[in-house]
Amino acid sequence: MKDVFEFELERLNLHLPRKRISLAEALRMDRPHVVTRSGKVHVFDRRELEELAGMLGEDEREGLMLPILIEMDPMLGRGAARISGRLEAKVVGKILNRRGDELIIYRPEITELRRRLPTTTCYAFVGGAR
Amino acid sequence: MAKPTEASPTRMELMNLRRRLSLAQRGRDLLEEKMDALVVEFFDIARSVVRARAEGLKRLAEARALLFVCLGQKGTVETLQSARETEKDFEVEVSSRLVMGMEVPQVTVVAGERPVSERGYGLYTTGAVTDAAAEKFREALCLLCELAGLESSLRIVAAELERTKRRVNALQHVIIPDIRTRIKTIEMRLDEIERDNFVRLKGMKTLRERRK
Repeated sequence: MKDVFEFELERLNLHLPRKRISLAEALRMDRPHVVTRSGKVHVFDRRELEELAGMLGEDEREGLMLPILIEMDPMLGRGAARISGRLEAKVVGKILNRRGDELIIYRPEITELRRRLPTTTCYAFVGGAR
Repeated sequence: MAKPTEASPTRMELMNLRRRLSLAQRGRDLLEEKMDALVVEFFDIARSVVRARAEGLKRLAEARALLFVCLGQKGTVETLQSARETEKDFEVEVSSRLVMGMEVPQVTVVAGERPVSERGYGLYTTGAVTDAAAEKFREALCLLCELAGLESSLRIVAAELERTKRRVNALQHVIIPDIRTRIKTIEMRLDEIERDNFVRLKGMKTLRERRK
C-alpha cells in the first residue's frame, strides 16, 4: 500500500515541465512548447504569450518563466495556492487586480486565472502538511 | 469500519506506523488539492461544452431553415444535385493539449471559408439562398467538431476525477483509520507492558526490603 501512495504522489507532478522556458524564448519559437516530466509536449497558445508580453516590458520578458506555476500547498489550506516569483506575481496580479511579490490566491481567482491563461499556467502540488 | 491488521507491539513498529500515517495524510491532502483542481477544470470544460452545443444547435437550426427555403425556391431535385456536386474537402486537425497531465483532444478545423466558385456546385441551378445554407452548414460543422473535442475532454477529466475521488476516499475512510487503530493498539499494548514492568519492579523492591 505504501508503494501505491508513493506512486500516486510521484504521479501528481508528472505534468510539470522538465525545464521551464522564458517568455522571450517562447515568443521566438515557431511552436512554443515545453516537454513535461512524463515526456509529453505541452504547447503554449500564442495568443496567451502575446497577452503576457503586453503586460511586461521588453527586458522583463527574459525573466518570466513559463508555464507559471500555481503552487497548491496543503499548508495554505484547501483551495489556496501560491504564485512565486516577482514577474509571475506581477502578471497574475494584473489579471486578478492584486499586488505583491508573492501572491496567495483562492479558488475563484484560480478559476479566473486558468480561464484567462489555460496553457501558460499549470498546477504544481507542493510538499505536505505534516 | 476498517478491521485493523495485526502488528507486533514494538516501538519500531509504532514509529513505522506513525511515519505511514503522516505519509497517508500528506497523500490525502495533496490528492484533495488535485481533486479541487480537476473540479475547476471539469466545470470550465463543461461550460464550454454547453456554450458550443447551444451555438452548434442554433447554427444547425438556421441552416435547416435556409435549406427548406432553398428546397422551396430551387426544387428538391436541383438542391440534391447541388449537394452531390459539392466538393467535400472538410479538413480537421486533431491535436492534443494537456490538462493536469492528461492528454485531451483538441479538434481544429483547418479548411477555411471557401468562396462560392470553389464549392463545386453549379451556379445556374443554385442561388444566394443555397450559398447561405451551405455557409451555415459549414459553420455548424465547425462548431460540432469543436464540440466533439470538448466532450471527449470532459469524459477524460471526469474519469480522472472519479479515480482521484476513489483514492481520496480509500485514504480517508480505510487506510488512515486502519493505521490509527493499529497505532492505538500498539500504544495500549506498550502502556500495558510498561505497567507490568512497573508492578514487577515494585514487587522486587518490596521483596528486597523484606529480606533486609
